[in-house]
Amino acid sequence: MTSLQKQVWAYLALLLLIPAWFLAHQNTTFIENPVTVAKALPHFLSDPATWTNIGITLARVVFGLLMGVAAGFVAAFAMTRSRLLGDVLSYYVTAALRTPSAIAAILALAIFKGSEAGYVLVVAFITFPYMAVGLRDGLASADHDLDEMAQVYHLGLLTKIQHVWAPFVAPYIFSALRNAHALAWKVIVVAEIFGAAKTGFGAKFEHAWSYMIMIEVHLWLLVFMAIVLFAEYGLIRTAEKYVFRWR
Amino acid sequence: MTQETRPSVLKAVNLGVTYGQSEAVAQLDFDIKRGEFVAILGPSGCGKSSMLNVISGLRAPSKGRVLVEDEELFTAQSKPPRLGYVFQSHRLLPWRTVRQNLEIALAASQVPRGTWEARIDEILSILHISQFKDAWPMRLSGGQRQRVSIARALLIDPSYILMDEPLSTLDEVTARSLRQELTGICQRTNATVVFVTHSIREAVYLADRILILTKGPARIFEDYKVPLERPRDYDDARIAEVEADIIRRVQAPWGLAMREESSVA
Ligand SMILES: Nc1ncnc2c1ncn2[C@@H]1O[C@H](COP(=O)(O)OP(=O)(O)OP(=O)(O)O)[C@@H](O)[C@H]1O
Ligand SMILES: [Mg+2]
Repeated sequence: MTSLQKQVWAYLALLLLIPAWFLAHQNTTFIENPVTVAKALPHFLSDPATWTNIGITLARVVFGLLMGVAAGFVAAFAMTRSRLLGDVLSYYVTAALRTPSAIAAILALAIFKGSEAGYVLVVAFITFPYMAVGLRDGLASADHDLDEMAQVYHLGLLTKIQHVWAPFVAPYIFSALRNAHALAWKVIVVAEIFGAAKTGFGAKFEHAWSYMIMIEVHLWLLVFMAIVLFAEYGLIRTAEKYVFRWR
Repeated sequence: MTQETRPSVLKAVNLGVTYGQSEAVAQLDFDIKRGEFVAILGPSGCGKSSMLNVISGLRAPSKGRVLVEDEELFTAQSKPPRLGYVFQSHRLLPWRTVRQNLEIALAASQVPRGTWEARIDEILSILHISQFKDAWPMRLSGGQRQRVSIARALLIDPSYILMDEPLSTLDEVTARSLRQELTGICQRTNATVVFVTHSIREAVYLADRILILTKGPARIFEDYKVPLERPRDYDDARIAEVEADIIRRVQAPWGLAMREESSVA
């Protein structure tokens, strides 16, 4: 199969979800008719409030991820530098890695009382261990041969970071980033619901659900999935393809 | 002869390398002159790579001294040596193109930026890899990658070039053509080369002089001048003769008993 054929098949398989949705609609109480949902979609998408709420959640995810990535970097470097610090941090990271995101969300919100900082921090807290562990593994397996080459040819520190070490750990960073990104979306919605946020995707979803506005529940869900898929395939994988074009 | 009047490029005095308790290099003294091609022969594990690590400046010796162009290495004031190194594996950055790999080495050298492009073009054409200038290393064959690695070592105007079995992983046909190119290019650029190999014939074909080492810990067993004029032919019977002569000499110091002797014993 050519790659185009494969893509066509993948899309066809995706279309199978529509009859499945329709069957679910006919046999349950809460699942809306896909046609009704499709008809409501244009109005929903042209409403500025929709995009404001998505933007708020997106901002929380992006800032939280950035903080998580930065903290992960610091932790990873610290772990490779000092043995004692490495041991201490690795217990901490292991504990953080296994903390259920719902509990992290509740804790953060209890501490920050549903302030904006709480949402960002809970995303940072949940994502940073993935970055720390991924990056540490990358640094630990660093290529001694290329280091020697760099030393023999007197490459400067910046050149070494840019051309020797960063590309080497890039695969680890990307796989950590993909995990962290997936988790960030999951935890932000949980936090927004638990935190009784007024704005953001989770708040609107919860609102629609508690008032049983089922069409809106469906619409928010659809938009959410579209955005997450776009971030994964449109942004992360595209960046990955570019970075690894030498393979 | 002219040899003695040429300036010294790389000099080792009473050089020793130990790892913890175990001695890898016992004592080495040699003096390599500008434009010389010196091969190093020694049994496996005798300390050849350990010696290269020291004369490349990567690792300080346990005893003795190294002088590059009469300046001592490993002292507080000494600058790191300017050298080209062709490792056994190519050690190119796989995520940079051929040209970028060369430019990264050039950027860290003293070669003026305005001349890079012309230099790169020239060296790539001498090594017959011009068409791969913008290729990724992963898309090249082993021989082509090793050519790029040789190009990188020559490009930066090094004081000397170290090569650690650079052809040992290549097929014989590729190795032959690279050997031939190597002699040509080293003569033309008057490069000073230290070339470690396990192939006695390769050493005889390439080198002006062969330092034959003892079993480890390494000492110099013999400083052997190759008695053949250039250009040489790899299949020349005289190369085979010299090879046989060297094999005869190293039997005892490398601990290989000759068949007749062992059957008597
Ligand atoms: N980093 C190290 N730590 C401890 N011992 C080492 C180290 N590197 C090499 N040795 C030892 O020093 C001796 C010489 O090793 P070296 O690699 O220099 O030999 P070599 O002549 O290059 O061998 P080969 O021909 O197989 O490449 C060996 O006994 C080896 O085990
Ligand atoms: Mg070796």
